[in-house]
Amino acid sequence: MFVNRKFHLKSKHVFLIGTLLINLGILLVTIGGSWDITNHLLNKPETFVSLPHGVMYSGVALSLIGILVSFTGWRKTENNQSFKISLKISLIGISLLLGAGPIDFFWHSIFGLDGLLSPPHMTLIIGMILTSTGGMIGLIRYNILRTNNNFFSILIIICGLLPIWLASSGMISSLSLPFSNTDFFNFNPEPFTAVIIATIGYPFLISFFLITSYNLSQNRFGIISLLGGLFLIIYGSTAILPNFVMAETILFYSTNAIALLVTDYVVSRSNYKHASYIGAGILGSIFYMFYYPYIMYTYNELLLGRLVSPSSIYSIYFELILTVFFITIIPAVISALAGCYFSKQIHSKMIQF
Amino acid sequence: MILGLLGLYFSLSLVVFPSIYLSKEELKPQPFFDVQISSNSIKIGQSFDIHIFSQNIGDYGDIHILSVGFPSLEKIDEQIKIQNYDFNHQYKIINKDTMLGAEYSAGIKKTASEYALIEIMNRPSPAKGHYTLDLSVTPKNLGIFEIYVKTIEIPHTSDLAHFPRQGLQDPQNEYVAVYSVMVNP
Repeated sequence: MFVNRKFHLKSKHVFLIGTLLINLGILLVTIGGSWDITNHLLNKPETFVSLPHGVMYSGVALSLIGILVSFTGWRKTENNQSFKISLKISLIGISLLLGAGPIDFFWHSIFGLDGLLSPPHMTLIIGMILTSTGGMIGLIRYNILRTNNNFFSILIIICGLLPIWLASSGMISSLSLPFSNTDFFNFNPEPFTAVIIATIGYPFLISFFLITSYNLSQNRFGIISLLGGLFLIIYGSTAILPNFVMAETILFYSTNAIALLVTDYVVSRSNYKHASYIGAGILGSIFYMFYYPYIMYTYNELLLGRLVSPSSIYSIYFELILTVFFITIIPAVISALAGCYFSKQIHSKMIQF
Repeated sequence: MILGLLGLYFSLSLVVFPSIYLSKEELKPQPFFDVQISSNSIKIGQSFDIHIFSQNIGDYGDIHILSVGFPSLEKIDEQIKIQNYDFNHQYKIINKDTMLGAEYSAGIKKTASEYALIEIMNRPSPAKGHYTLDLSVTPKNLGIFEIYVKTIEIPHTSDLAHFPRQGLQDPQNEYVAVYSVMVNP
Protein backbone atom coordinates (compact mmCIF):
# COMPACT_ATOMS: atom_id res chain seq x y z
CA MET A 1 0.00 0.00 0.00
CA PHE A 2 2.76 2.40 1.03
CA VAL A 3 4.82 1.44 -2.04
CA ASN A 4 1.78 1.96 -4.28
CA ARG A 5 1.15 5.49 -2.90
CA LYS A 6 4.81 6.35 -3.27
CA PHE A 7 4.69 5.13 -6.86
CA HIS A 8 1.66 7.31 -7.66
CA LEU A 9 3.26 10.32 -5.98
CA LYS A 10 6.35 9.78 -8.12
CA SER A 11 4.20 9.51 -11.26
CA LYS A 12 2.51 12.76 -10.33
CA HIS A 13 5.91 14.39 -9.99
CA VAL A 14 6.85 13.09 -13.44
CA PHE A 15 3.62 14.60 -14.77
CA LEU A 16 4.50 17.91 -13.09
CA ILE A 17 8.03 17.94 -14.55
CA GLY A 18 6.57 17.27 -18.00
CA THR A 19 4.06 20.07 -17.63
CA LEU A 20 6.78 22.46 -16.45
CA LEU A 21 8.81 21.54 -19.54
CA ILE A 22 5.78 22.17 -21.77
CA ASN A 23 5.36 25.67 -20.42
CA LEU A 24 9.08 26.46 -20.32
CA GLY A 25 9.16 25.40 -23.97
CA ILE A 26 6.33 27.77 -24.83
CA LEU A 27 8.10 30.49 -22.84
CA LEU A 28 11.11 29.96 -25.13
CA VAL A 29 8.84 30.14 -28.18
CA THR A 30 7.37 33.46 -27.02
CA ILE A 31 10.80 34.89 -26.20
CA GLY A 32 12.06 33.80 -29.62
CA GLY A 33 8.92 35.24 -31.22
CA SER A 34 9.33 38.65 -29.63
CA TRP A 35 13.02 38.66 -30.57
CA ASP A 36 12.07 37.61 -34.11
CA ILE A 37 9.81 40.66 -34.53
CA THR A 38 12.72 42.91 -33.50
CA ASN A 39 15.06 41.00 -35.80
CA HIS A 40 12.69 41.47 -38.73
CA LEU A 41 12.40 45.20 -38.05
CA LEU A 42 16.13 45.79 -37.61
CA ASN A 43 17.75 43.32 -39.97
CA LYS A 44 15.01 42.07 -42.27
CA PRO A 45 16.47 38.55 -42.40
CA GLU A 46 16.27 36.97 -45.83
CA THR A 47 16.25 33.32 -44.86
CA PHE A 48 14.24 31.06 -42.58
CA VAL A 49 17.40 30.19 -40.66
CA SER A 50 17.95 32.74 -37.89
CA LEU A 51 18.81 32.73 -34.21
CA PRO A 52 15.32 33.81 -33.03
CA HIS A 53 13.78 31.03 -35.15
CA GLY A 54 16.28 28.66 -33.52
CA VAL A 55 15.10 29.72 -30.05
CA MET A 56 11.47 29.33 -31.10
CA TYR A 57 11.86 25.86 -32.50
CA SER A 58 14.02 24.76 -29.54
CA GLY A 59 11.03 25.79 -27.43
CA VAL A 60 8.73 23.66 -29.57
CA ALA A 61 11.10 20.70 -29.11
CA LEU A 62 11.19 21.26 -25.33
CA SER A 63 7.39 21.39 -25.20
CA LEU A 64 7.19 18.19 -27.20
CA ILE A 65 9.53 16.45 -24.75
CA GLY A 66 7.40 17.89 -21.94
CA ILE A 67 4.26 16.38 -23.43
CA LEU A 68 5.89 12.96 -23.72
CA VAL A 69 7.14 13.15 -20.12
CA SER A 70 3.81 14.34 -18.73
CA PHE A 71 1.96 11.65 -20.72
CA THR A 72 4.22 9.00 -19.16
CA GLY A 73 3.57 10.42 -15.68
CA TRP A 74 -0.15 10.82 -16.32
CA ARG A 75 -0.65 7.17 -17.36
CA LYS A 76 0.70 5.94 -14.04
CA THR A 77 -1.05 8.49 -11.85
CA GLU A 78 -4.12 7.53 -9.84
CA ASN A 79 -7.11 9.87 -10.35
CA ASN A 80 -5.53 10.81 -13.66
CA GLN A 81 -8.88 12.05 -15.02
CA SER A 82 -8.28 15.42 -13.33
CA PHE A 83 -5.21 15.96 -15.50
CA LYS A 84 -6.68 14.54 -18.70
CA ILE A 85 -8.04 17.85 -19.97
CA SER A 86 -4.65 19.46 -19.46
CA LEU A 87 -2.96 16.83 -21.65
CA LYS A 88 -5.68 16.93 -24.28
CA ILE A 89 -5.40 20.70 -24.76
CA SER A 90 -1.61 20.55 -24.79
CA LEU A 91 -1.67 17.78 -27.40
CA ILE A 92 -3.90 19.80 -29.73
CA GLY A 93 -1.64 22.81 -29.18
CA ILE A 94 1.60 20.95 -29.84
CA SER A 95 0.12 19.42 -33.00
CA LEU A 96 -0.54 22.93 -34.28
CA LEU A 97 2.94 24.04 -33.24
CA LEU A 98 4.54 21.13 -35.04
CA GLY A 99 2.41 21.78 -38.09
CA ALA A 100 3.34 25.48 -38.04
CA GLY A 101 7.04 24.77 -38.68
CA PRO A 102 6.66 23.13 -42.11
CA ILE A 103 3.87 25.56 -43.06
CA ASP A 104 6.15 28.49 -42.11
CA PHE A 105 9.05 27.04 -44.12
CA PHE A 106 6.75 26.38 -47.09
CA TRP A 107 5.34 29.94 -46.85
CA HIS A 108 8.84 31.47 -46.73
CA SER A 109 9.86 29.39 -49.75
CA ILE A 110 6.86 30.37 -51.86
CA PHE A 111 6.11 33.94 -50.77
CA GLY A 112 9.42 35.07 -49.29
CA LEU A 113 9.33 37.17 -46.16
CA ASP A 114 5.99 36.86 -44.39
CA GLY A 115 4.29 39.45 -42.21
CA LEU A 116 3.36 39.15 -38.55
CA LEU A 117 -0.16 38.06 -39.39
CA SER A 118 0.00 35.09 -41.72
CA PRO A 119 -1.48 31.56 -41.74
CA PRO A 120 1.73 29.91 -40.40
CA HIS A 121 2.13 32.53 -37.67
CA MET A 122 -1.53 32.25 -36.61
CA THR A 123 -1.16 28.47 -36.45
CA LEU A 124 1.92 28.98 -34.31
CA ILE A 125 0.25 31.48 -31.95
CA ILE A 126 -2.92 29.42 -31.52
CA GLY A 127 -0.73 26.37 -30.89
CA MET A 128 1.27 28.31 -28.30
CA ILE A 129 -1.87 29.49 -26.50
CA LEU A 130 -3.42 26.01 -26.44
CA THR A 131 -0.24 24.22 -25.39
CA SER A 132 0.46 26.69 -22.59
CA THR A 133 -3.19 26.70 -21.51
CA GLY A 134 -3.05 22.92 -21.20
CA GLY A 135 0.20 23.26 -19.27
CA MET A 136 -1.30 25.95 -17.05
CA ILE A 137 -4.32 23.80 -16.20
CA GLY A 138 -2.04 20.90 -15.30
CA LEU A 139 0.22 23.04 -13.16
CA ILE A 140 -2.58 24.86 -11.39
CA ARG A 141 -4.47 21.64 -10.67
CA TYR A 142 -1.30 20.11 -9.33
CA ASN A 143 -0.72 23.11 -7.15
CA ILE A 144 -4.24 22.96 -5.75
CA LEU A 145 -3.94 19.23 -5.10
CA ARG A 146 -0.73 19.40 -3.11
CA THR A 147 0.13 21.01 0.20
CA ASN A 148 1.52 24.50 -0.04
CA ASN A 149 5.15 25.31 -0.40
CA ASN A 150 5.73 29.01 -0.99
CA PHE A 151 8.61 28.86 -3.45
CA PHE A 152 7.13 25.95 -5.35
CA SER A 153 3.67 27.53 -5.57
CA ILE A 154 5.11 30.76 -6.95
CA LEU A 155 7.22 28.86 -9.49
CA ILE A 156 4.16 26.92 -10.64
CA ILE A 157 2.01 30.04 -10.94
CA ILE A 158 4.66 31.85 -12.95
CA CYS A 159 5.38 28.90 -15.24
CA GLY A 160 1.66 28.42 -15.67
CA LEU A 161 0.73 32.00 -16.50
CA LEU A 162 3.69 33.76 -18.10
CA PRO A 163 3.85 31.73 -21.36
CA ILE A 164 0.12 32.03 -22.00
CA TRP A 165 0.22 35.76 -21.21
CA LEU A 166 3.08 36.29 -23.68
CA ALA A 167 1.40 34.10 -26.30
CA SER A 168 -1.91 35.94 -25.92
CA SER A 169 -0.07 39.26 -26.20
CA GLY A 170 1.39 37.91 -29.44
CA MET A 171 -2.13 37.27 -30.68
CA ILE A 172 -3.24 40.85 -29.90
CA SER A 173 -0.07 42.17 -31.55
CA SER A 174 -0.70 40.11 -34.68
CA LEU A 175 -4.22 41.44 -34.94
CA SER A 176 -3.33 45.08 -34.32
CA LEU A 177 0.20 45.85 -35.57
CA PRO A 178 0.64 46.96 -39.17
CA PHE A 179 3.45 44.48 -39.83
CA SER A 180 1.64 42.28 -42.31
CA ASN A 181 1.91 43.98 -45.68
CA THR A 182 4.18 41.87 -47.87
CA ASP A 183 4.89 41.58 -51.60
CA PHE A 184 2.15 38.98 -52.00
CA PHE A 185 -0.45 39.75 -49.34
CA ASN A 186 -1.64 42.69 -47.30
CA PHE A 187 -2.98 41.30 -44.03
CA ASN A 188 -2.57 44.61 -42.19
CA PRO A 189 -5.57 45.29 -39.95
CA GLU A 190 -7.75 48.32 -40.70
CA PRO A 191 -6.25 51.10 -38.49
CA PHE A 192 -9.36 51.93 -36.46
CA THR A 193 -10.14 48.27 -35.82
CA ALA A 194 -6.51 47.74 -34.83
CA VAL A 195 -6.71 50.56 -32.27
CA ILE A 196 -9.87 49.06 -30.76
CA ILE A 197 -8.27 45.61 -30.54
CA ALA A 198 -5.15 47.01 -28.84
CA THR A 199 -7.06 49.31 -26.47
CA ILE A 200 -9.31 46.50 -25.29
CA GLY A 201 -6.99 43.52 -25.64
CA TYR A 202 -3.80 44.61 -23.91
CA PRO A 203 -5.37 46.05 -20.70
CA PHE A 204 -7.57 42.96 -20.43
CA LEU A 205 -4.55 40.69 -20.62
CA ILE A 206 -2.44 42.63 -18.09
CA SER A 207 -5.27 42.72 -15.59
CA PHE A 208 -6.44 39.14 -16.18
CA PHE A 209 -3.05 37.51 -15.77
CA LEU A 210 -1.76 39.60 -12.88
CA ILE A 211 -4.98 39.38 -10.87
CA THR A 212 -5.16 35.63 -11.60
CA SER A 213 -1.63 35.23 -10.27
CA TYR A 214 -2.66 37.07 -7.13
CA ASN A 215 -5.75 34.90 -6.67
CA LEU A 216 -3.84 31.66 -7.28
CA SER A 217 -1.15 32.64 -4.81
CA GLN A 218 -3.84 32.95 -2.14
CA ASN A 219 -3.61 36.72 -2.04
CA ARG A 220 0.11 36.93 -1.52
CA PHE A 221 1.98 40.24 -1.77
CA GLY A 222 4.75 40.19 -4.38
CA ILE A 223 3.37 37.83 -7.02
CA ILE A 224 2.02 40.67 -9.19
CA SER A 225 5.39 42.44 -9.11
CA LEU A 226 7.25 39.22 -9.80
CA LEU A 227 5.14 38.05 -12.73
CA GLY A 228 4.82 41.56 -14.19
CA GLY A 229 8.54 42.16 -13.64
CA LEU A 230 9.43 38.99 -15.55
CA PHE A 231 7.21 40.14 -18.40
CA LEU A 232 9.05 43.48 -18.41
CA ILE A 233 12.45 41.75 -18.42
CA ILE A 234 11.50 39.50 -21.34
CA TYR A 235 9.95 42.29 -23.38
CA GLY A 236 12.75 44.72 -22.51
CA SER A 237 15.48 42.30 -23.51
CA THR A 238 13.85 41.15 -26.76
CA ALA A 239 12.11 44.30 -28.02
CA ILE A 240 14.10 47.22 -26.62
CA LEU A 241 17.73 46.33 -25.88
CA PRO A 242 18.51 44.76 -29.31
CA ASN A 243 17.70 48.11 -30.94
CA PHE A 244 20.86 50.19 -30.49
CA VAL A 245 19.00 53.52 -30.69
CA MET A 246 16.35 52.54 -28.14
CA ALA A 247 18.58 50.83 -25.60
CA GLU A 248 18.68 53.80 -23.25
CA THR A 249 14.88 54.01 -23.12
CA ILE A 250 15.01 50.86 -20.99
CA LEU A 251 15.08 53.28 -18.05
CA PHE A 252 11.66 54.57 -19.04
CA TYR A 253 10.38 51.02 -19.48
CA SER A 254 11.71 50.01 -16.07
CA THR A 255 9.50 52.55 -14.33
CA ASN A 256 6.58 50.20 -15.04
CA ALA A 257 7.91 48.28 -12.04
CA ILE A 258 6.66 51.16 -9.86
CA ALA A 259 3.11 50.70 -11.15
CA LEU A 260 3.36 46.95 -10.56
CA LEU A 261 4.51 47.46 -6.96
CA VAL A 262 1.74 49.96 -6.30
CA THR A 263 -0.85 47.56 -7.73
CA ASP A 264 0.60 44.71 -5.70
CA TYR A 265 0.35 46.76 -2.53
CA VAL A 266 -3.15 48.06 -3.24
CA VAL A 267 -4.50 44.61 -4.07
CA SER A 268 -2.88 42.63 -1.26
CA ARG A 269 -2.65 45.08 1.61
CA SER A 270 -5.85 47.04 1.29
CA ASN A 271 -8.76 45.99 3.47
CA TYR A 272 -11.23 47.15 0.84
CA LYS A 273 -13.30 44.25 -0.48
CA HIS A 274 -12.93 45.25 -4.12
CA ALA A 275 -9.27 46.24 -3.98
CA SER A 276 -8.56 43.90 -6.91
CA TYR A 277 -10.67 46.13 -9.13
CA ILE A 278 -8.72 49.22 -8.07
CA GLY A 279 -5.52 47.35 -8.89
CA ALA A 280 -6.97 46.26 -12.23
CA GLY A 281 -7.85 49.88 -13.00
CA ILE A 282 -4.24 50.92 -12.39
CA LEU A 283 -3.00 48.10 -14.60
CA GLY A 284 -5.41 49.06 -17.37
CA SER A 285 -4.20 52.65 -17.36
CA ILE A 286 -0.56 51.66 -17.95
CA PHE A 287 -1.00 49.38 -20.96
CA TYR A 288 0.54 51.82 -23.47
CA MET A 289 3.67 52.10 -21.33
CA PHE A 290 3.71 48.37 -20.57
CA TYR A 291 3.65 47.31 -24.20
CA TYR A 292 6.32 49.83 -25.30
CA PRO A 293 7.60 50.11 -28.01
CA TYR A 294 5.74 48.32 -30.81
CA ILE A 295 2.26 49.32 -29.64
CA MET A 296 3.11 52.76 -31.04
CA TYR A 297 2.76 51.46 -34.61
CA THR A 298 -0.93 50.73 -34.07
CA TYR A 299 -1.76 54.24 -32.81
CA ASN A 300 0.58 55.94 -35.28
CA GLU A 301 -1.36 54.40 -38.17
CA LEU A 302 -4.53 56.13 -37.06
CA LEU A 303 -3.29 59.30 -35.36
CA LEU A 304 -0.16 60.39 -37.25
CA GLY A 305 0.35 58.11 -40.23
CA ARG A 306 4.07 58.80 -39.94
CA LEU A 307 6.61 56.63 -41.73
CA VAL A 308 8.38 54.70 -38.96
CA SER A 309 11.89 53.44 -39.22
CA PRO A 310 13.51 51.43 -36.38
CA SER A 311 15.56 54.37 -35.14
CA SER A 312 12.52 56.65 -35.01
CA ILE A 313 10.27 54.27 -33.04
CA TYR A 314 10.88 55.86 -29.66
CA SER A 315 10.49 59.47 -30.81
CA ILE A 316 7.10 58.79 -32.41
CA TYR A 317 6.12 56.71 -29.37
CA PHE A 318 6.85 59.59 -26.98
CA GLU A 319 5.19 62.08 -29.30
CA LEU A 320 2.00 60.05 -29.00
CA ILE A 321 2.14 59.03 -25.36
CA LEU A 322 -0.04 61.75 -23.83
CA THR A 323 -2.64 61.67 -26.61
CA VAL A 324 -2.94 57.89 -26.45
CA PHE A 325 -3.08 57.93 -22.65
CA PHE A 326 -5.99 60.35 -22.54
CA ILE A 327 -8.03 58.91 -25.40
CA THR A 328 -7.69 55.32 -24.22
CA ILE A 329 -7.80 55.57 -20.44
CA ILE A 330 -11.54 55.01 -20.03
CA PRO A 331 -11.95 52.01 -22.38
CA ALA A 332 -8.63 50.59 -21.14
CA VAL A 333 -9.69 50.76 -17.49
CA ILE A 334 -13.09 49.24 -18.29
CA SER A 335 -11.39 46.44 -20.19
CA ALA A 336 -9.01 45.85 -17.27
CA LEU A 337 -11.97 45.67 -14.89
CA ALA A 338 -13.51 43.06 -17.18
CA GLY A 339 -10.20 41.19 -17.07
CA CYS A 340 -10.33 41.25 -13.27
CA TYR A 341 -13.92 40.02 -13.22
CA PHE A 342 -13.12 37.25 -15.67
CA SER A 343 -10.10 36.26 -13.60
CA LYS A 344 -12.23 35.94 -10.47
CA GLN A 345 -14.76 33.76 -12.30
CA ILE A 346 -12.02 31.47 -13.62
CA HIS A 347 -10.42 31.27 -10.20
CA SER A 348 -13.64 30.35 -8.43
CA LYS A 349 -14.18 27.57 -11.00
CA MET A 350 -10.67 26.28 -10.31
CA ILE A 351 -11.30 26.30 -6.57
CA GLN A 352 -14.60 24.45 -7.03
CA PHE A 353 -12.73 21.78 -8.90
CA MET B 1 2.49 57.01 -0.01
CA ILE B 2 0.68 54.90 -2.64
CA LEU B 3 -0.78 57.95 -4.35
CA GLY B 4 2.65 59.56 -4.23
CA LEU B 5 4.25 56.56 -5.96
CA LEU B 6 1.50 56.48 -8.55
CA GLY B 7 1.96 60.21 -9.14
CA LEU B 8 5.70 59.66 -9.50
CA TYR B 9 5.12 56.85 -12.01
CA PHE B 10 2.77 58.87 -14.21
CA SER B 11 4.98 61.99 -13.98
CA LEU B 12 8.03 60.01 -15.05
CA SER B 13 6.24 58.05 -17.77
CA LEU B 14 4.08 60.76 -19.28
CA VAL B 15 6.11 63.93 -18.72
CA VAL B 16 9.72 63.55 -17.61
CA PHE B 17 11.01 60.71 -19.82
CA PRO B 18 9.14 61.81 -22.97
CA SER B 19 10.59 65.32 -22.71
CA ILE B 20 14.10 63.93 -22.13
CA TYR B 21 13.94 61.55 -25.09
CA LEU B 22 12.21 64.00 -27.41
CA SER B 23 14.86 66.66 -26.70
CA LYS B 24 17.59 64.38 -28.00
CA GLU B 25 19.15 65.44 -31.26
CA GLU B 26 17.89 63.54 -34.28
CA LEU B 27 20.36 61.02 -35.73
CA LYS B 28 21.83 62.07 -39.06
CA PRO B 29 23.26 59.15 -41.01
CA GLN B 30 25.33 60.30 -43.99
CA PRO B 31 26.31 58.05 -46.89
CA PHE B 32 29.31 58.44 -49.13
CA PHE B 33 30.92 56.33 -51.83
CA ASP B 34 34.02 56.09 -53.93
CA VAL B 35 34.00 54.41 -57.35
CA GLN B 36 37.01 53.00 -59.14
CA ILE B 37 36.75 51.84 -62.74
CA SER B 38 39.57 49.71 -64.16
CA SER B 39 39.59 51.46 -67.54
CA ASN B 40 37.71 54.36 -69.09
CA SER B 41 38.22 53.09 -72.63
CA ILE B 42 37.97 49.50 -73.83
CA LYS B 43 37.56 47.59 -77.06
CA ILE B 44 34.27 45.83 -77.81
CA GLY B 45 34.27 42.37 -76.29
CA GLN B 46 36.60 43.40 -73.49
CA SER B 47 35.50 43.80 -69.86
CA PHE B 48 36.10 46.45 -67.25
CA ASP B 49 35.76 46.24 -63.47
CA ILE B 50 33.86 48.55 -61.15
CA HIS B 51 34.86 48.68 -57.49
CA ILE B 52 32.48 50.63 -55.24
CA PHE B 53 33.40 51.46 -51.67
CA SER B 54 30.31 52.71 -49.86
CA GLN B 55 30.12 53.92 -46.27
CA ASN B 56 28.11 55.72 -43.62
CA ILE B 57 30.19 58.69 -42.45
CA GLY B 58 27.41 60.07 -40.24
CA ASP B 59 25.37 58.79 -37.29
CA TYR B 60 23.80 55.38 -36.87
CA GLY B 61 21.17 54.63 -39.52
CA ASP B 62 18.68 51.87 -40.13
CA ILE B 63 19.46 51.00 -43.75
CA HIS B 64 22.33 51.83 -46.09
CA ILE B 65 21.27 51.42 -49.73
CA LEU B 66 23.58 51.45 -52.74
CA SER B 67 22.10 51.61 -56.21
CA VAL B 68 23.99 51.07 -59.47
CA GLY B 69 22.07 51.87 -62.66
CA PHE B 70 22.86 51.04 -66.28
CA PRO B 71 20.90 53.48 -68.46
CA SER B 72 21.74 51.61 -71.67
CA LEU B 73 20.36 48.28 -70.40
CA GLU B 74 16.76 47.13 -70.02
CA LYS B 75 17.72 44.13 -67.96
CA ILE B 76 20.73 42.77 -66.14
CA ASP B 77 22.07 40.09 -68.48
CA GLU B 78 25.43 38.47 -69.17
CA GLN B 79 26.97 41.93 -69.71
CA ILE B 80 26.99 42.51 -65.94
CA LYS B 81 28.59 40.12 -63.47
CA ILE B 82 28.52 40.63 -59.71
CA GLN B 83 31.98 39.56 -58.61
CA ASN B 84 31.91 40.25 -54.92
CA TYR B 85 30.08 42.14 -52.15
CA ASP B 86 30.13 42.34 -48.37
CA PHE B 87 26.77 43.98 -47.69
CA ASN B 88 24.76 41.86 -45.23
CA HIS B 89 21.85 41.58 -47.67
CA GLN B 90 21.61 39.91 -51.02
CA TYR B 91 21.67 42.25 -54.04
CA LYS B 92 18.44 42.83 -55.92
CA ILE B 93 18.30 42.90 -59.69
CA ILE B 94 15.80 45.40 -61.03
CA ASN B 95 14.85 45.36 -64.67
CA LYS B 96 13.10 48.09 -66.65
CA ASP B 97 9.44 48.84 -65.73
CA THR B 98 9.74 47.69 -62.13
CA MET B 99 8.06 49.91 -59.52
CA LEU B 100 10.64 51.61 -57.31
CA GLY B 101 10.64 54.08 -54.45
CA ALA B 102 11.22 57.66 -55.52
CA GLU B 103 12.19 61.08 -54.14
CA TYR B 104 13.88 59.64 -51.06
CA SER B 105 10.44 58.74 -49.68
CA ALA B 106 11.38 55.23 -48.45
CA GLY B 107 8.83 53.71 -50.79
CA ILE B 108 5.88 56.01 -50.18
CA LYS B 109 6.27 57.62 -53.61
CA LYS B 110 6.88 55.22 -56.44
CA THR B 111 7.89 55.31 -60.07
CA ALA B 112 8.67 52.75 -62.76
CA SER B 113 12.31 52.05 -63.50
CA GLU B 114 13.43 53.16 -66.97
CA TYR B 115 16.53 50.97 -67.11
CA ALA B 116 18.21 48.10 -65.31
CA LEU B 117 19.66 48.56 -61.82
CA ILE B 118 21.34 46.63 -59.05
CA GLU B 119 20.31 47.56 -55.50
CA ILE B 120 22.01 46.29 -52.40
CA MET B 121 21.63 47.21 -48.75
CA ASN B 122 23.07 46.79 -45.30
CA ARG B 123 20.77 46.69 -42.24
CA PRO B 124 21.32 48.33 -39.84
CA SER B 125 23.85 50.95 -40.88
CA PRO B 126 26.22 51.67 -38.00
CA ALA B 127 28.31 54.83 -37.96
CA LYS B 128 31.55 54.31 -39.93
CA GLY B 129 30.16 51.11 -41.44
CA HIS B 130 31.65 50.46 -44.87
CA TYR B 131 30.87 47.99 -47.64
CA THR B 132 32.11 47.07 -51.08
CA LEU B 133 30.54 45.92 -54.31
CA ASP B 134 32.61 44.64 -57.24
CA LEU B 135 31.18 44.29 -60.71
CA SER B 136 32.56 43.21 -64.03
CA VAL B 137 31.01 44.70 -67.17
CA THR B 138 31.33 43.47 -70.75
CA PRO B 139 29.38 45.89 -72.96
CA LYS B 140 27.78 44.54 -76.13
CA ASN B 141 27.43 47.84 -77.96
CA LEU B 142 29.82 50.44 -79.19
CA GLY B 143 29.83 53.96 -77.81
CA ILE B 144 29.58 55.36 -74.32
CA PHE B 145 28.55 52.91 -71.59
CA GLU B 146 27.18 54.88 -68.61
CA ILE B 147 26.85 53.85 -64.98
CA TYR B 148 24.73 55.75 -62.43
CA VAL B 149 25.64 55.34 -58.76
CA LYS B 150 23.87 56.65 -55.64
CA THR B 151 23.52 55.81 -51.95
CA ILE B 152 20.73 56.57 -49.51
CA GLU B 153 20.49 56.22 -45.76
CA ILE B 154 17.20 55.39 -44.08
CA PRO B 155 15.84 57.24 -42.18
CA HIS B 156 16.17 59.98 -44.75
CA THR B 157 16.10 62.82 -42.26
CA SER B 158 17.88 65.49 -44.30
CA ASP B 159 19.78 66.15 -47.52
CA LEU B 160 22.79 64.64 -45.80
CA ALA B 161 21.08 61.24 -45.99
CA HIS B 162 21.80 60.79 -49.69
CA PHE B 163 24.89 60.97 -51.88
CA PRO B 164 25.54 62.60 -54.25
CA ARG B 165 23.63 65.70 -53.19
CA GLN B 166 23.70 67.45 -56.52
CA GLY B 167 24.16 66.78 -60.22
CA LEU B 168 22.05 64.66 -62.52
CA GLN B 169 18.68 63.40 -61.30
CA ASP B 170 17.57 59.92 -62.31
CA PRO B 171 13.96 58.89 -63.14
CA GLN B 172 13.40 58.38 -59.39
CA ASN B 173 14.13 62.09 -58.90
CA GLU B 174 17.22 61.21 -56.91
CA TYR B 175 20.74 62.43 -57.52
CA VAL B 176 23.23 60.10 -59.18
CA ALA B 177 26.95 60.26 -59.91
CA VAL B 178 27.60 59.44 -63.56
CA TYR B 179 30.58 57.33 -64.70
CA SER B 180 31.28 56.36 -68.28
CA VAL B 181 33.48 54.04 -70.28
CA MET B 182 34.09 54.41 -74.01
CA VAL B 183 33.59 51.17 -75.93
CA ASN B 184 35.66 51.26 -79.11
CA PRO B 185 35.52 49.05 -82.25
